[in-house]
Amino acid sequence: MRRTLRDALIALAVVFGVGSIAMLLGHVSPVVGFAALFDGALGNQSELAETLLQTTALLFPALGVALAFRAGLFNIGAEGQIVLGGMTAGVLGVALPLPGPLLVPTVLIAAAAAGGAWGGLAGFLKARFGANEVIATLMLNTIAVLFATYLIGGPFKQPGAGAAETPQLPPAAWLPVLVPGTRLSVSFPIALALGAAIWYVFRQTVFGYELRAAGEAPEAARRAGIDLGRTAFTTMALSGAIAGLGGATIVMGVLHRFNTGLSPGYGFIAIAVALVGNLEPPFIIIAAFGFGILQSGAIAMQAEANVPRDVVTLIEGLVIVALAGRRFAAERRAA
Amino acid sequence: MSALGAGLVALLALTLVKATPLIYAALGGVLSERSGVVNIGLEGILVAGAFGSVVASAATGNPLVGAFAGVVAGALLAAVLAFAATRLGVDQIVAGTGLNIVALGGAAYGLVLIFGQPGASPEVPSLGRAGEAVLIALAFGLAAALWFALFRTPWGLRVRSCGENPRAAEIAGIDALQTRFWAVVIGGAIAALGGVYLSLAELDLYSDGMTAGRGYIALAAVIFGRWNPWGALGAALFFGFFAALQYSLQRSGIPSELMQALPYLAALVALAGFAGRVRAPAANGVPFERS
Amino acid sequence: MAEPAALTLRGISKRFGSIVAVDGVDIDVAPGEIHALVGENGAGKSTLAAIAYGAVKPDAGSIEARGTVGLVHQHFALIERLRVWENILLGREPRAGLRIDRSRARAVVGDLARRHGLAVDPDAVVETLPVGIKQRVELLRELAREPAVLLLDEPTAALAPSEIDAFFVTVRALAQRGTAILIVTHKLAEVMGYSGRVTVMRRGKIVARFRTAETSAAEIARAMVGGEIPALTARAATQPSPRLVVRDLRAGTGAGAIAGASLHVEAGEIVGIAGIEGNGQTLLADAIGGVVPYTGELALDGESLPAGQSPAQRIARGIRIIPQDRRREALVLDWNIIDNVALGRQREPPLRRGAVIDRAVAGRFAADVIERFDVRPPNPKAIVGALSGGNQQKVVVGRALAGSPALVVAYQPTRGIDVGAATLVGSRLIEARNAGAAVLLISFELDEIFALADRVYVMFGGAIVGEFARADIDRGRIGALMAGT
Repeated sequence: MRRTLRDALIALAVVFGVGSIAMLLGHVSPVVGFAALFDGALGNQSELAETLLQTTALLFPALGVALAFRAGLFNIGAEGQIVLGGMTAGVLGVALPLPGPLLVPTVLIAAAAAGGAWGGLAGFLKARFGANEVIATLMLNTIAVLFATYLIGGPFKQPGAGAAETPQLPPAAWLPVLVPGTRLSVSFPIALALGAAIWYVFRQTVFGYELRAAGEAPEAARRAGIDLGRTAFTTMALSGAIAGLGGATIVMGVLHRFNTGLSPGYGFIAIAVALVGNLEPPFIIIAAFGFGILQSGAIAMQAEANVPRDVVTLIEGLVIVALAGRRFAAERRAA
Repeated sequence: MSALGAGLVALLALTLVKATPLIYAALGGVLSERSGVVNIGLEGILVAGAFGSVVASAATGNPLVGAFAGVVAGALLAAVLAFAATRLGVDQIVAGTGLNIVALGGAAYGLVLIFGQPGASPEVPSLGRAGEAVLIALAFGLAAALWFALFRTPWGLRVRSCGENPRAAEIAGIDALQTRFWAVVIGGAIAALGGVYLSLAELDLYSDGMTAGRGYIALAAVIFGRWNPWGALGAALFFGFFAALQYSLQRSGIPSELMQALPYLAALVALAGFAGRVRAPAANGVPFERS
Repeated sequence: MAEPAALTLRGISKRFGSIVAVDGVDIDVAPGEIHALVGENGAGKSTLAAIAYGAVKPDAGSIEARGTVGLVHQHFALIERLRVWENILLGREPRAGLRIDRSRARAVVGDLARRHGLAVDPDAVVETLPVGIKQRVELLRELAREPAVLLLDEPTAALAPSEIDAFFVTVRALAQRGTAILIVTHKLAEVMGYSGRVTVMRRGKIVARFRTAETSAAEIARAMVGGEIPALTARAATQPSPRLVVRDLRAGTGAGAIAGASLHVEAGEIVGIAGIEGNGQTLLADAIGGVVPYTGELALDGESLPAGQSPAQRIARGIRIIPQDRRREALVLDWNIIDNVALGRQREPPLRRGAVIDRAVAGRFAADVIERFDVRPPNPKAIVGALSGGNQQKVVVGRALAGSPALVVAYQPTRGIDVGAATLVGSRLIEARNAGAAVLLISFELDEIFALADRVYVMFGGAIVGEFARADIDRGRIGALMAGT
């Protein structure tokens, strides 16, 4: 708990400190800049809904990344997993002739499976060949985007598709809206439920127990009978599935179609969210909300206070660097 | 010359163009990892090199000053990682990932701050065709120089000893932390030249995302090239070839996305095929603590 | 007039945390002398050598050396992937302009090797060399600095007998040239054969000093292991029926390998494995635990244990290992007692209920261990990393002894813990034995073995070299066998 607090304070220091410096460089008063940011994120109901939307988009991959981190693995490939999950939703949502109540869950599960396969591929390469999962997932990110582009323009092309995107989903495939008049859909409570589920998995299940042991004390885990290779594979697959699910909710809840630009780097920011949340689901949810404020407020900040929104990306990167302290006693070799 | 011959020459030329930024980044990665520090931040260093050089070139009107500034920018970014890795003993992979995001965000922010427009900078004085040729030749020259430095000079021997067994190096009187620090910084300076090439030689501007993951492919080249400068050069040429192939095969009916994915796929296959069979410097990625 | 000593240590003391490694030691080494420093594991010899070398700072005391001090490490400080000349001349490379003058480097190394009669190929890559040659490289690295004092830490631990002879030829030649030599060892045959003076350490203190010519291996061994035999504790009758049978076990290569060990442990018996660290004990424990591959036969209760089994399968068969390094191999330091007690049995009912861990059962298990082993603080939610070493070990041992295991391998079960905890752990091991378990007690401390064992094997060089029933225990003889004589 103390570490979480300390990390949160460091993150806040980075956000406000670096943010202020960057704003001053742009001849904008930090007070004005941050005021615009927070007002834009929380000012009224529709803005709060947008913030929660961003929170949701971050929460899915953050939970996946945290799951992998707890097992001692780096899933830097959440971007690619989001893309493939979203693509699956964008294609199946149009192509599957199922009625509404069946369609949505089926598509969500299929999207999770797609993301899970992508994550599992990296996990397999690591378990079987000892391939560095960091580089593998990074390569798979780019390959995923190219693969998805090819698929939706070629073999999976649906009638009525535009260039590099799928046609609009039929209303049966839309996620129900949570707050009328906003874009916030049930994906938000789904993400919260997922957070609770993962919290439960960590704390109560045998799988979660073994996963944490493998991450925190691999030698002791091995001697206690835990299969480290299999744990690695399963964890990466699960991590990918969660991120893929997130991609599907973006497609089905917000955009109502798929294009390869559906994620402005959520998979990478999710790393910061997971670290600030100290890899614990309750804190990750809070961290996701904080970063959601940054993401949605940035647009308003740019429009009203003339602070380019990329300053937020810069800050997010610095948070990751600031919180890069070693977490586990386990040593990790990169190659 | 026959059409086929002309096509081949064009392909080779394009291979060199595509491979050059990879060569610089991979050489920087080799130096860093030989000393024992994993540098995931190569992508960010490329960005720093590309953006810093464009800013300086625009400000002074002199592309050579720009190139120099790009190298300094890359070295500075690398210094942050070097400091965090040696003095603070942080997780090198997480820190490197963070630095990549910092660089990308910083450059995007800088575009608006300095040039007043997002997305891409205006055109700036570039190094031109002559400069491009020089940089390509320099890449090969640096590979030779780095090989010589690592395997023929006292400094290189000490760097390698820090990457294999820092405790033994310290027993021999070498300051492992300081050696690692400078190896990472110099490696960053070398890698930054790849960014300079992208923005001031191949083109004459900086645009968001122009590095396109080359820093990550370079990491695969380091492994594929067995942490040897010549090997990394060869691997970079190999990946560059696939990038160049994309243009030649444009009308062959093979989907363009598959072509574009070739370098990344090649890197992935190399990783899977080689990872188990080559050995990194024994202390690579492991922070060294004096007891 | 006696020549002044080349190395003088006075009043040296050093503690690591609560452990006193060296306690008020005076020792000196004269030029041209071969001085042996002997003692059991944990006696403080290696620490003293590190202090004399300057690698470790003492808490108190003074070090005076008339010239450079060199140290040949027990676990070589060599860079495996580099060449011999690169290892030897690292930091002092001969130069020609910008580059290393490799021909001069080779010549310097060749010269050095010839001068000391230690043939090496300067260009060979160290990791390709056999252990004996690697040690020459390690030695040459130190000799290149022309030391006045040379410290050798367990130098022949990894050498074959023929290599040992050649090694001592070199050492003698060095001594003849005036180098002061301090050799830290537990091998009494070498001490008797080559040294002029012997100093014996025990628990950080000097307990005896001899002139080699005036003493015997038996006398030195007695000083090493102490004179008293601990009082016998009451024993319940045991039923002879072998539970664990080990036949011709082989595992690993090089130093620390097991080279054809055979032993057995009966039901209701504690069998001790005495020996100096590095003679195959770790691989023995790991082979039984299913952590390393091996050849040879292992059988439990008459049923053979296949060599490819995993640790999980061994645990399921009722085999419990108490590992040597509790912090790295037994515990998850960031977790609490409840979660640590569950480690190893998380897949078995009743701890496992479907996909979930039954918290109530886990709590009960932890409470059991806390109560039976008097773990302090008696809070199941206490984080294990914050417990004292003794309490951490109680958790590990308590966990291992729970649920009537068939075989318990206790590897250094009372290492680094306070007397109270050690006594409690010992009593519980005896209780497990009385309940019919087979207990294999591997330890580097003879006192621990003598307090608990019904029978004692001695392990040396990866094989069993002696067996003693409790009534026949002969400390001197055991000490000598441990030391290879």
